[in-house]
Amino acid sequence: MLTRIALRNVFRNRRRSAITMVVLVVGATALILFGGYKEISFYGLRESTIRNRVGHLQIYKKGFLNSESQKPLEFGLENVTELRRAIENDARVEMTVPQISLMGLVTNGEKSETFLATGVDADKDQKMSAQRLVAGESISDKETDGVIVGELLARSMNVKPGDFLTLMTTTVSGSLNGLDVRVRGTFATGMKEFDERAIKMPLAGAQQLLQTQKIERLLVLLKKTDETDGVKTTLESQFVQNHWDLEIRDWSVLATYYHQVRNIFNGIFGFLGIIVFLIVIVSVANTIILSIFERTREIGTLMAMGTRRRQIWAMFFLEGLMIGVAGGFLGIAVGSAAGELINQAHIQLPPPPGYTTGYNLRIMLKPSILITVMVLSSITATLASVLPALKASRLKIVDALGHI
Amino acid sequence: MNTPLIKLQGIRKSYTLGKVDVSALREVSLDIDAGEFIALSGASGSGKTTLLNLIGCIDKPSAGTIQLAGLDVTALSLSSLANLRSRKIGFIFQTFNLIPVLSAFENVEYPLLFAGRGCTQRRERVRQWLHHVGLENQARQRPDQLSGGQRQRVAIARAMVTQPDLVLADEPTANLDSDTAGQILDLMSQINRETGTTFLFASHDPRITQRASRQIHLHDGQIASDLILTETPWRFVNAH
Repeated sequence: MLTRIALRNVFRNRRRSAITMVVLVVGATALILFGGYKEISFYGLRESTIRNRVGHLQIYKKGFLNSESQKPLEFGLENVTELRRAIENDARVEMTVPQISLMGLVTNGEKSETFLATGVDADKDQKMSAQRLVAGESISDKETDGVIVGELLARSMNVKPGDFLTLMTTTVSGSLNGLDVRVRGTFATGMKEFDERAIKMPLAGAQQLLQTQKIERLLVLLKKTDETDGVKTTLESQFVQNHWDLEIRDWSVLATYYHQVRNIFNGIFGFLGIIVFLIVIVSVANTIILSIFERTREIGTLMAMGTRRRQIWAMFFLEGLMIGVAGGFLGIAVGSAAGELINQAHIQLPPPPGYTTGYNLRIMLKPSILITVMVLSSITATLASVLPALKASRLKIVDALGHI
Repeated sequence: MNTPLIKLQGIRKSYTLGKVDVSALREVSLDIDAGEFIALSGASGSGKTTLLNLIGCIDKPSAGTIQLAGLDVTALSLSSLANLRSRKIGFIFQTFNLIPVLSAFENVEYPLLFAGRGCTQRRERVRQWLHHVGLENQARQRPDQLSGGQRQRVAIARAMVTQPDLVLADEPTANLDSDTAGQILDLMSQINRETGTTFLFASHDPRITQRASRQIHLHDGQIASDLILTETPWRFVNAH
C-alpha cells in the first residue's frame, strides 16, 4: 500500500513531477550524448591510431627499446621472412607490415626542410590507408624512388606530382647519403605537424638511402583489437620457444596521444557528471521537500493510524527512487533517440586543434553508457530523497496534524 | 468495580510559545468507561484537542498518567504507541484527512495493513464497513470525488474498520452543513450502540454536544463540568 501511495503521489502534482522528470531527462540525455560522443571519439582515435600508424603490435630486435642507437638501424631486424610467415599463420592476424623510420633533409635545390620519412611496403601501406591522398598517386614497390609527400611539406617545398626532390640522411655506417626521388603524390593525415614533415617511400627506397637490408620494426595488424593481449602472449611464447631475440610492444603502450585524449575527455565527462548530479539532487530534493510540506497533515494522519516512522521514510524514499528510475528510463529513451537523430543528420564538425580535416559528429550508444546513466539517475534521485524523507519521518504527529 | 477504559490522573500539558510557557491542560483527572458516547465541549483554546491528542496517544503529557484499558501509556515507546493506536484507537478529523491518492476502499483498508489481517479478510471487512456507512457504491472513488459528508463517512469507516475500543473525533462536523452534521452524529451514535465502541468527540457546537450521552466541558484547560445525560433530563454529576 505504501508503494501504491508513493507511486500515486509521483503523479499527484503532475506539473512538479514533470519538471523534475525534465531535469532528469535533460541530465541523462546530456550524459548519454556526451558519453556517446566520447566513446565514438575514443573508438575512432584508437582504431585510426592502430590501423593507420602503430599497428596492434610492434616487434623489434631485443635491446631496441632500452638502448640508444649510435647509428641508424643498429638494432634493426634482418631476414624477417620466416618471422612474418610464423606470425601470419595465426588466424587472428590480418597482416604484418615492415617499416623503417628515418630523418634527414629534403631539398628542391633552392630550399631545404627537415623530413620524417617512413619506408613501407607500398601494398600493405595502401591497405592500412594511413593517409588520404590529396593529389597524384600512391607509392609503388616497382618505383623505389617514387615518394608521396605530406601536403603541407609539398606546399612548403613548392612541389607537385611529377616533380623531383633530394633526400639526404645518415646511412647505417654513419656516412651521408642522398637520393633523388620523384613526387608521385601528396597526402594528408589530418595532423598538421606531421603533414609538414612527412614523406612516405617504398621500403626498398628507404633501405637504399640507408644502405642496408634491415628493417626497423615489424607491425602486426589484427582482425580485432580485442585480441591484442592474446596474440601478444602467443607471440612472446613463440619467440622464447624459437630462441628469437625479439621484443614486442602493444598499441596501448605506443598510443600515448590516444591516452592523453582519453584522460582529458574522461575528466570533462566526470565534471559534467558532477554538475548533472548536483542539478538532479537539488531538483529531486526540492520536489520531495515541497511534497512533504504539502502533505504534512497527511503524514500526521498516517502516523496517527499506526504507520511507523521508518515506513513514512520508506514511502518518500520510494518516491525519489521511482522518480529516478522513471527519469532514467525516459532519459535513456530520449538520449538514445537524440543520439540516433544526430547520427542520421551527418553533422560535420570543424577540424580539432592540430588537425586539418573536419569529421562527422557521431554518438556511440554503448549499453554501458546507458546502464551508467540509468544507475546514476536512480541513485542520484534516491539519494536526494534521503534527507527530506528523514525529515518527514521525524515529524511530531501533533504538529503534523495541526499543519495548515 | 470495572476498570475504566480510559483513566486520566493529574494530567498537565504545557507548551512553550517563544519564551512563554502556556498551560493547555491543568490537573485533569477523568474516567471514561467502555461504550460511552461522550462530547467534549469548550471554547477554542480550552484544551479539547490537547486532551484528545493525549488520550489518542499521539502526544505525551507534561505530568500525570494515562491508562488505556489498565495499561499506562505514558511509559510506552513510540513504536509501542504506534502499535497500540493501530489496534485500539480510531481517529476522525475535522478536515476528514483521507489520503487523497487512495480510493474510498483503500482509505478504509489502510489501517488494517498494520493489524496483520489476510487480504481476503481485509477486503471483506472494508466492504462491510463501506456498506455500514452507506458508501458501497462509492468504493472506487477518490476523496475529491466525494462530498464532505461522504468523506466523513469514509473516515468513520476507516476509524471503525480495525474494531477499536475507542474512537476519537476532533470537531467531526465542523466542516459540514447542519443536516449532514446531524447525519454524521446519527451514524456515530448508531455505531456506538451497535458495537459498544467508545466515542469521544470534541465540538464547540451545542447542537452537536447535546446529542451525547455524556458531556465534558473544558474551560481554560480544566474540566468545568461533566454531565451524564440518560433519557431526560440532564443529570449533573460533577462540576469544578
